[in-house]
Amino acid sequence: MPSQAQILPGTLDLLILKAVSLGPLHGYGVLLRIEQISQGALLIEQGALYPALFRLVRQGLLKASWGTSDNNRRAKFYELTSAGRKRLREEADGWNRLAAAIASALNTQPEEV
Amino acid sequence: MSLLSTLRSLVSALFHRSSVENDTEEELRTHVRNRTDDLERGGLSRADAERRARIEFGAHEKFKEECREERGGFWLETVWTDIRFGARMLRRSPGFTAVAVLTLALGIGANTAIFSVVNAVLLRPLPYPDANRLTIIWSTWGKETRGPASGPEMMELRKRMPAFDEIGGIWATTGTITGSAEPEQVRLAFTTSNFLPLLAEKPQLGRLFAPGEDRRGAAPLMILTDGLWRRAFGANPNIIGQATRLNGNDFTVVGVLPRDFKLLFPDGSGVVADVQVFIPFLDDLEKRPRDVGFLRMVGRLRQGVTVAQAQSEGETIATHLRSEAKEYADQSLHLTVASLQADDVRLVQPALLALFAAVGLVLLVTCANVANLLLARSGGRRHETALRAAMGAERTRIVRQLLTENLLLGCLGGAAALGIGWAALKWILALQPEGISRLIAVRLDGWVLAFTLGLSILTGILFGLAPALSIARGDLVEVLKESGKTSTAGKQWLRQLLIASEVALGCILLVGTGLMIRTFSSLLRVDPGFHPENVMTFQLTFSGSRYRTVDSAINFLKELRNNLEALPGTQAVGGVSHLPLDEGKGNWYSYYWMDGAPAEQQNTIMADHRSTLPGYFRSLGATMLEGREFEDTDDAAHTHVAVVDDTVAEQLWPGQDALGKKISVEDSPKGPFQFERESVVVVGVVKHIQSHTLTSKGRGQIYLPVPLAPRPVYSIVVRTTEPVETFRAYALQAVRKLDKDMPISNLLPQMDYVDKARAQTRFVTVLAGALGALALFLACIGIYGVTSYSVAERKREIAIRIAVGANSADVGKMVLSQSGLPVVVGVLAGLGMAAALTPLLSGLLFGVRASDPLTYVLISLVLGAVGALACCIPARRATKVDPMIALRCE
Repeated sequence: MPSQAQILPGTLDLLILKAVSLGPLHGYGVLLRIEQISQGALLIEQGALYPALFRLVRQGLLKASWGTSDNNRRAKFYELTSAGRKRLREEADGWNRLAAAIASALNTQPEEV
Repeated sequence: MSLLSTLRSLVSALFHRSSVENDTEEELRTHVRNRTDDLERGGLSRADAERRARIEFGAHEKFKEECREERGGFWLETVWTDIRFGARMLRRSPGFTAVAVLTLALGIGANTAIFSVVNAVLLRPLPYPDANRLTIIWSTWGKETRGPASGPEMMELRKRMPAFDEIGGIWATTGTITGSAEPEQVRLAFTTSNFLPLLAEKPQLGRLFAPGEDRRGAAPLMILTDGLWRRAFGANPNIIGQATRLNGNDFTVVGVLPRDFKLLFPDGSGVVADVQVFIPFLDDLEKRPRDVGFLRMVGRLRQGVTVAQAQSEGETIATHLRSEAKEYADQSLHLTVASLQADDVRLVQPALLALFAAVGLVLLVTCANVANLLLARSGGRRHETALRAAMGAERTRIVRQLLTENLLLGCLGGAAALGIGWAALKWILALQPEGISRLIAVRLDGWVLAFTLGLSILTGILFGLAPALSIARGDLVEVLKESGKTSTAGKQWLRQLLIASEVALGCILLVGTGLMIRTFSSLLRVDPGFHPENVMTFQLTFSGSRYRTVDSAINFLKELRNNLEALPGTQAVGGVSHLPLDEGKGNWYSYYWMDGAPAEQQNTIMADHRSTLPGYFRSLGATMLEGREFEDTDDAAHTHVAVVDDTVAEQLWPGQDALGKKISVEDSPKGPFQFERESVVVVGVVKHIQSHTLTSKGRGQIYLPVPLAPRPVYSIVVRTTEPVETFRAYALQAVRKLDKDMPISNLLPQMDYVDKARAQTRFVTVLAGALGALALFLACIGIYGVTSYSVAERKREIAIRIAVGANSADVGKMVLSQSGLPVVVGVLAGLGMAAALTPLLSGLLFGVRASDPLTYVLISLVLGAVGALACCIPARRATKVDPMIALRCE
C-alpha cells in the first residue's frame, strides 16, 4: 500500500498535466480525458484528483478559473501555465526515457548478455 | 513564479477562507453530480447512480481535508483556527479569563514599568555624541580618590595621553546675572573651549566655543541653556551677539544649548545637572598652582581604545608626573579613568538591579498563580481534549492548541500590562528622587514594548506548558469514564508545589522589602548632627562692584543678621558657605595638619572647610561639645581661630583636649580664591555634621570665621517659629532693604535638604514595598483559589465524612492542614533562600544587617497569617457542607 501511494501522486500529476495540455478542463473533464487517452486502462480514485489539482495550482503549473460547463453548471476550469507546459515536457521525457530503459531491459534476450 | 503563486494561495487562504472553502465544496459536489448524470444516462436509476457516484468518488471529507492542506497557508490557517478557538474558550469562562488577565497584567505591568526605568538609566547610552567613548578622569590626591585635577595637571594630560582625542575640563560655581530685570543668581560653569563640543552635537542657536577662546585675554563669551534663555531672556532669538552682565562684567552670548541638554555627571563630582551659563576659563590653566585641584575632566577615548588601556596609560603618566614635580609627589597623585556612563549610574545601579530582580520574582509568582488557575480549570478541559484525541487528534496538535490559547492569554495580559505599566511609570516618575537624574529620560519606547511582548510570550509558555502537558497526558478511556467532574489526585501535588513556590518567592521578596523598610526607618532616625526642624535657609551671592572688598560683604552680612534677628519668631541667625546635605554646590576641602607636624605627616588627612558666620551652630541646632562659637571679633585683626568637629579633634589629638591647640589650615584672609597656609587656634569643638550623605560619616570639618575665609556665596540659616511662607516674605524684604540687587536663591527649609538625602532610599523602599504588597496579594489569591477549588472538588467526600459522623471541627482541621502544608513549606524554603540572597542587598542597607532576625520573624508571621486567612474562608465553607444536598447533586 505505502509504495503504491508514493508512486501514484507523481504519475497522477503527469497524467493530469497531459490531459489539461490538450485543452482547458474542469475536474470531472480531467477524469474523462484521462480515461479516454489511456483507453480506460488506468483506474483512478476519483476524489484523489482534487488534492492533486490543488497541488499543481499551488506549484504554479496549472491555473484555475471559474466558468460554465457544457451542461450549464458552474465549474472550475484548469489550464496549463507555461511553467506547467515546461514541466510536462520534462516529466514526459523523463518518463519516456525510463520506460524505454525498462522496456529494453525487459526485452533483453539471454544471448545478448 | 512558484513563490508568487504560493503567496497568492496563502493570502486567499487567510483572507477569503470561507469562500475558498465553499468553492472547494462546490467543485467536489459538481464532480459527483456530473458522474451521477453520466451513470443515469448509462441506465441506472437516479438513486443507484447517486450511490455509485459517491462510492467511486471515495472519502469526501478526507479529500476535502487533503485539498485544504494542498492549498498552502495550511499551517497559518490552523494557527488562526487555534486562536479563534482559544478566544472562544476564554470568552466562555469570563471569570477565569478576567482573573488570569488581571493577574498577568499586574505581573507584566510591574515588569514593564521597572524595565522602563532600567532601560532609561542603565541601558540607554548617555545623550551625548559618541557616548560610549566618553570617560571621566578622576585624580587621586593622597587618600582622596575621585578628586578634581589642577590646571597644569590637565594641560599635561592633554599633551601626553594619546589614549584620548580630547580632554575637557569644567568647574561649576554660581554667579549673578544683572542688567535686565531682577538680578538672577545662576549656576555657572567655567569650561575649557572643547568641553561643550564633547557633550553636544550643536547648539540650537549660535555656536559653541571655538579652540583658543578659553585663553587669557580672549573676548568674554557665554553660552546659555535653553531653560535660562527662555526664562530670563524670553526666548529672544536675537540674543546672539548681545552683551549680558555676569558678575559685574560684560559677556557676549554666542550660543544657546539644545532644549534637552543636561550635564549628567556622577554624584560627588561637584558638577550639578542644571548649570545654566557656560563661560570659558579665560586663563592660562597651565600657570595655575599644581596642587590646587578644581577641574572635573571628561575625556573622549580615541576610536578603538578601551577604558582599561586609558587607565594603564593614566597610571604611567601619573608616575611620570610624580617624579617631575614636587607637588604631585607630595600628594602622591594617581589617575583613574572610568566610563562616564558607568560612573554616572554607579550609585543607583545596585538599587535598580535589586528592584529588577524583585519584579522578576513578582512575575514568577504571577506565572505560578495563572498556572494554578489553569490547572484548576483543567478538569473540564481534560474531558474535552480526551474527546478530541479519541476522534483522532494528535497529542502534539492538542498541546499546540492549548499553548496557543495560553499565549493568547499571555498577550491579552501583556496588552493590559501596557496600561498598568504606563500608570505605574507615571507614579514612579512622581516619586522621582533627584539622585536618579536620568529618570527624566524614562519613556515607553520600542525597547520597552519589545520587552513587554517578549515577556508576555515567555509567561504564556511558562505558565501554560505544565498544564497543557498535564491535560494532554493521561489515559483517554479513564478520563472519558470519569465524565470530567472529579479530579485525579495526580494534579493535587503539582498545585501544592506551585503554591509552595509562590509562597517561597513571595517570602524572598517580602524579606527584601522588610529590610528596605528597616533601612529607611534607621535613616529617619539617623542623627545628622543638627536639628533641621524650624530652620529656614537661603543663599546669597556677592558679586559686582559693590562687593569688591571683603569688608563690604562682611558688613552686609552683619546688618542682615541684625535685621533678621529683629523679625518676629526668630530664635537664632547664622550663616555658612556650604549647607549640610546641599549637594548643589562644589565642595571645598583641603589638607590640614597639627601645627609643626613633620613634612611626612602633612598632606595626609583632608577636611571640608567651611566659612562660618557667628550664630551658625546655634541656628542649625548643632551640638557644641567644647569651647565656643565664633563672635564678631574673630577677624583677621585678632587671633586667628577655628572651630573643628570631633572627627578632626579625634584625628589630631586622640584623648586630649583640643581647645587652645593649633592647626595648619588653608585659608584666604586676603579675599576669595587667594589661598594661604597659616596656623589657627582651636576655640571650639562641635559634633560632626553629616554634610554629604546621611549614611556615611565623611570627612572631618574645619570651620573658619568669614573674615579669614571669605567666599562669594553664603547660605543664611535662621531658626524661626514663623511658617515657611511668612518667613519667605520677611527674608526677601530684609535682603532687599539692604541691597535691592542682591540675588536670593534656594529659599528653603533645611528639612528639604534632609528629605532629598533620603530620597533614593525612600524611592527604593516605596517601590520594594509596592512589589512586596503585590506579591503578597497574588500569593493570597493563589492560596485562596486553590483551597476553595479543592474544597469544591471534594464536596462529595466531605459530605460523606460528615454523614458518617465527622464534626465540623474535624473537617475544618482537615482542610486547613492540607492547604496549610504548602504554605508552611513555602515560608521555610523562602526564608532559606532569602538568607542566601539578601547579602547581595547589603550595599543598599543601612542600620540593619541582611540577616536581621526581626525582619525574618515578622515576615514569616505576616505570610503565615495571610496564608491562614486565605485558607480559612474556604475551610469554613467546607464545614458548612450539607451532606444531603452535596450527595444528591452528583
